[in-house]
Amino acid sequence: MRRIALLSLAHDRGKLVASLAGVAFAATLVVGQIGLYVGFLESSSAVVRHAGGDVWVMARGTAVVDNGERLSAGSRAIVASHPCVARVRALVMAFLPLRKPDGSLEAVQVVGYEPVADPVLPWSLARGLPQDLHGPGRVAIDGLDVRKLQIGAEPLGAVLTVGTEEVYVAAVTRGIRAFTLAPYVFAEIDTARRLARMGGDQAYFWLADLARPECRDDVIAAVKRHGDLDAHAREEFRRMTENYWVAGSGAGTALGFSALLGLVVGAVIVGQTLYAVTKEHLRELATLKAIGATPGEVVSFVTWQAAVLACVGGGLGFLFAYLLATGTAGVGLVIVLSPTVLLIGAGAVLTMCTVAAIWSIRAVLTLEAAEVFR
Amino acid sequence: MSDVLVRASDVEKTYGSGELAVPVLKRISLEVRAGALVLLMGPSGSGKTTLVSVLAGLLRPTAGHVELCGARISELSESKVAAVRRRHLGFVFQSYNLFPALSALDNVAEVLRMKGFAPREAEQRAADALDRVGLGDRRTHRPGELSGGQKQRVAIARALAGDPALIFGDEVTAALDTRTALKVMELLRAQVTPGRAILIVTHDRRLEQYADHVIGLEDGSVVESKRSAPDAAQAGAMT
Ligand SMILES: Nc1ncnc2c1ncn2[C@@H]1O[C@H](COP(=O)(O)OP(=O)(O)OP(=O)(O)O)[C@@H](O)[C@H]1O
Ligand SMILES: [Mg+2]
Repeated sequence: MRRIALLSLAHDRGKLVASLAGVAFAATLVVGQIGLYVGFLESSSAVVRHAGGDVWVMARGTAVVDNGERLSAGSRAIVASHPCVARVRALVMAFLPLRKPDGSLEAVQVVGYEPVADPVLPWSLARGLPQDLHGPGRVAIDGLDVRKLQIGAEPLGAVLTVGTEEVYVAAVTRGIRAFTLAPYVFAEIDTARRLARMGGDQAYFWLADLARPECRDDVIAAVKRHGDLDAHAREEFRRMTENYWVAGSGAGTALGFSALLGLVVGAVIVGQTLYAVTKEHLRELATLKAIGATPGEVVSFVTWQAAVLACVGGGLGFLFAYLLATGTAGVGLVIVLSPTVLLIGAGAVLTMCTVAAIWSIRAVLTLEAAEVFR
Repeated sequence: MSDVLVRASDVEKTYGSGELAVPVLKRISLEVRAGALVLLMGPSGSGKTTLVSVLAGLLRPTAGHVELCGARISELSESKVAAVRRRHLGFVFQSYNLFPALSALDNVAEVLRMKGFAPREAEQRAADALDRVGLGDRRTHRPGELSGGQKQRVAIARALAGDPALIFGDEVTAALDTRTALKVMELLRAQVTPGRAILIVTHDRRLEQYADHVIGLEDGSVVESKRSAPDAAQAGAMT
């Protein structure tokens, strides 16, 4: 039956091409949207994921990494005093105005960190090395923001006015773009504090590296005993941040909706083709039934075709999604095609083709063998 | 298996029910024995197609019994009846019912594969069957590249290839011109063997010359059942 099914499907080139295009379109849309969603999640929490620290300490009520508040000087000592805390690092996440050459203002987010051997920040550099940010007044901006910040052809050495301070670009990051679209300005902690006009012992977050991971909950509880402080495990804070931006902004719903729309359109196109091919062959299928084909055999006429459309069309769709992801990376749109994303995409395409096959399967199952003589 | 390949006993068939009931077959009893070509004749609407569908196990009778190749099919489940058809029957239709995407060889071979033959054997038998109907040189042609008579011969090859005990045909010559129709009947006539019978539905009187037995149907009842001596010159003759 496989041969009959596949030859019959291939017999009408036009229909075959149309339905392959339908499946590919749906697969591209679904995988693209899911990948975009995961990309949003990842870019919204990129700093949390890359800055390390087992426990993040912050002002009480902080819901997201981008909306922290300055912590008092004494709070670092509180965190460090717990016997399980091996190291405390300061992190600054401050929105500051940047005056562009044409005089207009742009909000940038200054990320200030204490340089350590592990983890290294910024985590992805296109030009320069992390060491290039040692020394006062040195910052890194992203290659994707060069135009937005009205920097000339050569970003290295360009002078930026952040707040009232002047700094210069000593390195360029690659593809580090915030979900908020405010350009990141990476700087070592002293420079960041100077830009944000903070004291030498202040920070927005304290990142505590623990001697033993088991004492994490204990450290969190100890910090929380101080009324103005909050603490979360890094993973937990990553989730909070992602939820805040992606779920809270409705971006997830919008992307999910267009993915669903893609599936529906794809299902209709595939369903139409399968049904048309099946309908054209009802006499022959009835003949097979008369000769004694089992219901399973006549159904496999449809399922082989659906399977081929799903696999070939889906494969093409994944290829398009891959090309789309590589194409959009250059303009800062992150489409993540992780194995999980591809797996969900494959499941969606398979479900779509199964749903599309239902009408045809019904048609062949209810087909009366006696119809052959009509 | 006894000599009788299909036996109908007091078979009735009514389409629909209540006010809309249409009684089509009325207490029909008949037998088809091996070694015969039987014609089922009668005017349009007399119930020929309905009767052949019931005899072949494609329709269930409303009353009465049908015994097909040794099985009381009127008492068997749908799948068991299908198994009987698969083992013992071949079909030929007015409109050929060939898969347009498949070559002549594949149209025959795929049915054999479905019947459980290994792919190689199916292909071999299909090639033999096409040779027997005189289409050895048209194996790779698709139905669209064949004439009506050739298509019907592919269909006959498909029916024959599984070596069935009984072949049913409904108006198999209706779409063909006289010359081709008679050739197709000659071909079918030549497929009757001591162990095989062929039952053909038609209202074409000219086909009587090929029949061993003619059953006349009128308004759902058998009105005549006569032996007929097939023309010796025609019987067995084949180009
Ligand atoms: N599925 C059905 N439902 C209701 N009535 C039917 C159905 N099939 C056939 N009939 C009726 O049964 C009667 C016999 O039909 P059948 O097709 O068996 O006749 P036939 O002898 O084969 O005619 P023809 O020579 O025109 O093919 C007709 O009156 C037809 O209208
Ligand atoms: Mg009829």
